[in-house]
Amino acid sequence: MSNWRVPLTDVAMPEQDVQAVLDCLRSGWLTMGPRTAAFEAALAAYVGAPHALAVSSGTAALHLACLAAGLGPGDEVIVPALTFVASAAAARYVGAEPVLCDIRGNNGAGGYDLNIDVEDAARRITPRTRAIVAVHFGGYPADLPALRALCDQHELVLIEDCAEAIGARLPDGRQVGTVGELGAFSFFSKKQLCVGEGGMVATADEDRAERVRLLRSHALTSSTWDRHRGHDPAYDVVDIGFNYRLDEPRSALGLSRLERLDADIADRRALVRAYRARLAGLPGLELLWDEQAVELGSHFFFPVLLPSREERDRFRERLAASGVQTTWYPALHTFSDYRRAGAAGELPRAGEAADRHCALPLSITMHEATVEVVVELVRAALG
Amino acid sequence: MATTETFPELPLFDLQLDKQDLYAVAQTLRSGWLTMGPRTEAFEDAFAAHLGARHAIAVSSCTAALHLAYLAAGVGPGDEVIVPSFTFVATAAAVVYCGATPVFAEIASRARPSLDPDDVARRITPRTKAVCVVHYAGYAAQADRLRELCDAHGIALIEDVAHAPSATLAGRALGTWGLAGAFSFFSNKVLSVGEGGLLCTDSEEVAEFARSRRSHAMTSGTWERHRRQTDTYDVVGLGYNYRIDEPRAALLLSRLERLQDDVARRRELTLRYRALLADVEGLIVPFEDADVPDSSCYVMPIMLERDGDHQAQVSSRLREQGIQTSIFYPSIHRFSAYRERFPDVSLPITELASRTELTLPLYPHMTHADQDRVVAALAQALAP
Repeated sequence: MSNWRVPLTDVAMPEQDVQAVLDCLRSGWLTMGPRTAAFEAALAAYVGAPHALAVSSGTAALHLACLAAGLGPGDEVIVPALTFVASAAAARYVGAEPVLCDIRGNNGAGGYDLNIDVEDAARRITPRTRAIVAVHFGGYPADLPALRALCDQHELVLIEDCAEAIGARLPDGRQVGTVGELGAFSFFSKKQLCVGEGGMVATADEDRAERVRLLRSHALTSSTWDRHRGHDPAYDVVDIGFNYRLDEPRSALGLSRLERLDADIADRRALVRAYRARLAGLPGLELLWDEQAVELGSHFFFPVLLPSREERDRFRERLAASGVQTTWYPALHTFSDYRRAGAAGELPRAGEAADRHCALPLSITMHEATVEVVVELVRAALG
Repeated sequence: MATTETFPELPLFDLQLDKQDLYAVAQTLRSGWLTMGPRTEAFEDAFAAHLGARHAIAVSSCTAALHLAYLAAGVGPGDEVIVPSFTFVATAAAVVYCGATPVFAEIASRARPSLDPDDVARRITPRTKAVCVVHYAGYAAQADRLRELCDAHGIALIEDVAHAPSATLAGRALGTWGLAGAFSFFSNKVLSVGEGGLLCTDSEEVAEFARSRRSHAMTSGTWERHRRQTDTYDVVGLGYNYRIDEPRAALLLSRLERLQDDVARRRELTLRYRALLADVEGLIVPFEDADVPDSSCYVMPIMLERDGDHQAQVSSRLREQGIQTSIFYPSIHRFSAYRERFPDVSLPITELASRTELTLPLYPHMTHADQDRVVAALAQALAP
């Protein structure tokens, strides 16, 4: 199989999580039932949003968020160029056009920043722009106050792509996903809160929540669970909906794991600080963001910058040879299917950051000693 | 609302998992690898072998499988896909996802409520790109005739096999008659896992397309990168997250071993239902005894001979007796969402079937006493 000495990520699965899933399986009720309702209530309380709707993936959450934002054909949606492809694909599902915008880079205070550049986003607003998808890249919060102000000024919907950022906060203590009209979260296997495949939409708006709830299950006016509980077997279909439901075993797993989420994020942050303390000042390697961002972030991955693409690629090859798995995110405009959405010259900082960054291993199964091992191998790879 | 809620004593379906199923899931969770890995591959191989299909691609739901099947058939804006209206809404909704128009066709009769090939033939136009046949309740529709018809017109046949994971027509597995078959592993299905589905095909091209679009049209996945098979990836089209995860694949793989036994038990119970129901006045029991050995017997549908508000009345009388029933299915073209978008559709046989159908409880561990109780309550509910 893999034989990585230090894999990029890893999943810890305490026995209480396994038992939660087995209890659910023994109950024989596997879809849209009490465990999903309980998971949603716990998520809403955790994030601080009036409504949380569990769905099948982060991608499904973004798709439903775009629908609940009222986006459709002819609309433009501003999306940062450095993100996972789902951030832009969701706009295309509803017939809208993703317009890529640049990231901040080293353009300002707070250290090198891989998140959306609000000024660049502002420049790309046209009469057809209807929404901005703000990605909290790697778990580091984007500049939400500035994004909120920009969206309010232009009457745009702010969708927060929190797929990598559950538990990240604003300086005022609010959680990401609660500043935009809609927040989309992922519970994919490598995420801070993971169940395998899964996601969630958070919103404060009753109507948008109702729309997400409806469209997640084929726009049926009653569910299998309602009918099982003795409701009338008749139902109507009131829109073109989807099957974006999360099932009960995954909700049971998520609910069990949510109890430890804050502690897990604290562990991730401690590992990031251990990395930063040991890597600071190493020639040929640059840290990203700053201590405030580290404090507020929820740390999905830990990226660093190398001087150039060639040096980054060589660095990664050397680490791979010594058993350390790393990764990097290509910028969207370099994908075959997205070349028309933005030219390289128009997105210089996203292109440069994509070429230069490298994410080092980060998971709660690591210890400070693991960080030390990786740092030693990093030093060797730089040398 | 909570005060009036009652769980039925005899539910429409009931699921019992074995120790071995639980163990398979527990082992997967403990392994720490939760998405797109060895268990998904193993389940896909096992299910392909079960069907006698060349490729099986596990996905997040049957809806997802239908969407990918239509896309693989080249369905896009301006195209038409002929579908039954007497089916779950996903059969038609997935056509709309592609920007195409679902054209609803009639079922043959209430006694054989599957797509009528003659009516399908009448609805083919130059814009028709595909026909989707549903094997209602697990009984083979006329996939052979539809295959000939589609071949003659150069259009794709897609099979919605949500109900029929272990059923045949002329000895050939349902799902393998067309370009692609879409299976469901929803919790109340014959082979159930919670949420899940699968696309099967003999076409290398369709399989590759479905695999790619299931995971964002990325040229490599987390699993391949973990195994050092590749390093980075390209995105070569508009894809989706239609992946299933490893715990569900493990559960399916474990349950697949008992699928034949479960279906055998369903067939036995269905034949017994049929014998008991033959003595009840005022019913049409769809299909024939001779169809049962080839069917997966997903549900037990009956049609009330009398039209009118009789259906709601009988259903409510049975509910009072602790017996849950359902309607498989309300006509899709009568739903508000479809009336708005596709008005003026009239399908008299389908509409009559929707107004008179009731689905009785059926699951492998149902007892003969349970069945007797259902039939007695039904006879009483139907009595004048």
